Amino acid sequence: MSSVIERSSDWFERYLVPPLGTLASNIYLQAVRDAFIIFTLPLIIAGSLFLIIANPPFPFLDNLVSNYKNAILVPFQLSFGLMALFLAFGVAYSLAQYRRTEPVQPGILAMVLFLVATVPVTDLTTLKLGDILPYLGGQGLLVAILIGIMTTEVMRWFRGSRFTIRLPKSVPKNVTRAFEALVPTFLLLTLVWGLEWFVSSHTVSIDGKNAQLTLPILLMQVFKPLVAVQDSYPAALAEIVLMMLLWSVGIHGMNIVTAIAAPFWFTTLASNATGGHGIVTEPFFHIFAHLGGSGATWPLVVYMLLSRSAQLRTVGKIALGPAIFNINEPVTFGVPMALNPLMMIPFVLVPVIIVTINYLVFSVGLVHVPVVIQPFTVPLGISGFVATGGDIRGSILQFFDLAVSALIYFPFFRAWERILVAREEDASQHSQQAVEGPTPVKVG
Amino acid sequence: MIRVLIVCSWGMSTSLLVDSMLEAAKERKYELIVEALSAGEYAEKVDACDVVLIAPQIRHLRKSIEKLAASVGKPVAMIEPFHYATMNGQAVLEQVLRLLPQNTQEGKTAT
Repeated sequence: MSSVIERSSDWFERYLVPPLGTLASNIYLQAVRDAFIIFTLPLIIAGSLFLIIANPPFPFLDNLVSNYKNAILVPFQLSFGLMALFLAFGVAYSLAQYRRTEPVQPGILAMVLFLVATVPVTDLTTLKLGDILPYLGGQGLLVAILIGIMTTEVMRWFRGSRFTIRLPKSVPKNVTRAFEALVPTFLLLTLVWGLEWFVSSHTVSIDGKNAQLTLPILLMQVFKPLVAVQDSYPAALAEIVLMMLLWSVGIHGMNIVTAIAAPFWFTTLASNATGGHGIVTEPFFHIFAHLGGSGATWPLVVYMLLSRSAQLRTVGKIALGPAIFNINEPVTFGVPMALNPLMMIPFVLVPVIIVTINYLVFSVGLVHVPVVIQPFTVPLGISGFVATGGDIRGSILQFFDLAVSALIYFPFFRAWERILVAREEDASQHSQQAVEGPTPVKVG
Repeated sequence: MIRVLIVCSWGMSTSLLVDSMLEAAKERKYELIVEALSAGEYAEKVDACDVVLIAPQIRHLRKSIEKLAASVGKPVAMIEPFHYATMNGQAVLEQVLRLLPQNTQEGKTAT
């Protein structure tokens, strides 16, 4: 058994980890992911709460808020609704961090450039905020990402080049920095404005009304079919399989898939918040698939606490608290699931089956699709209710999935437990010394 | 004073390890500052630390993290997965102490 473990671990390490690692360590993907998670998520989550208040889950509250609905939605629209604006800042800022250059200047410039790209070139005093609002949020994410990357890269290039204003050494550093940024700032501003001017000299028909074309509207034409492709069962399946294969070799799968899929997930989620029916979003995975952490490992914690193996009981005790908040690194590296050919089977299989069940349930409308995003650490039961905008069937679905997980994991857990118990008995028989601790399976 | 950076993904699980490390340091009278951060924040803050540790779930970034650490002369190592799993602050603190250059062992507070 242990030779099989070693051989397949070697195989994964040689053929699976390098390509996935190369993909995951791409600096742009990392910057986009950090931008979503660190810079936009807190605002998106806080804003979502107002969406719940404006659309209360209980009918008797509906009458109470209906008169104030528009007022309650304002904080939602100016936080969640502006996610692309903050994303532009976040992408430029994060990328500058990775590039080890000053991050605030490109961050702020990216926001300005994003606004220039989103607002049609016209008499701004006649512009209606409501007309451009969708493109500052869910429908402007792609433009925000592109502008964020461009801003940081251009500023960095100018800083290192001779096309910049040079001042004598005696000038204070901060003064120099402000002047250094002047040339690229002016150039970028002119470039984006010029492009937007050209684009917005064309008109487009939106909902039967003629409107000026803008860069986000133009790019959405390209992006929309891709968003539709991502919001499908094959895409959901591919994403969960990739996530769990990565975790199976001990790499943070959710982290990496988020980097690629986040622009799609958040576009779909934003459309759900305004009445859309998209399924494959961030909560679809974090809230409805990763029950107790990636791999839906909640039931394993209970099994471990009752286990005959000392190693599994030790890990179980440590894993219990984090599991409540959907954190399962103790399970992944302690059972371990990672690089353990036996446990890897259900580690991939369980989430795949759960995603399949959930996709079916959401698509036939048995449970309301996810509309609200929340921290992934919200405990099971509560999170399913909140994510669906207050559909109690969301919680029921989570518990149903949990039962499925418990059932599939059981035989695999028993088999692994037998191996560990045999190993532990072996160790205590062969050496009279006190067993120092469980023998971990080597990873990494 | 020993300043440790742990590079991880969201920092959620690592914060548990950080607490355990601080407890272990307190017992042994070391003055320890530990920060869990993403690879981007790490690139920004690496200059002002003594030791860099890498959480096991981001070992695909190991090479680029090590390269940067080497370029600014900071010791760097992976955290043992099982130590990470069991949130074994004691063992990870040991690792930090082993990584420290001999002449900067003044982290111990005067007793």
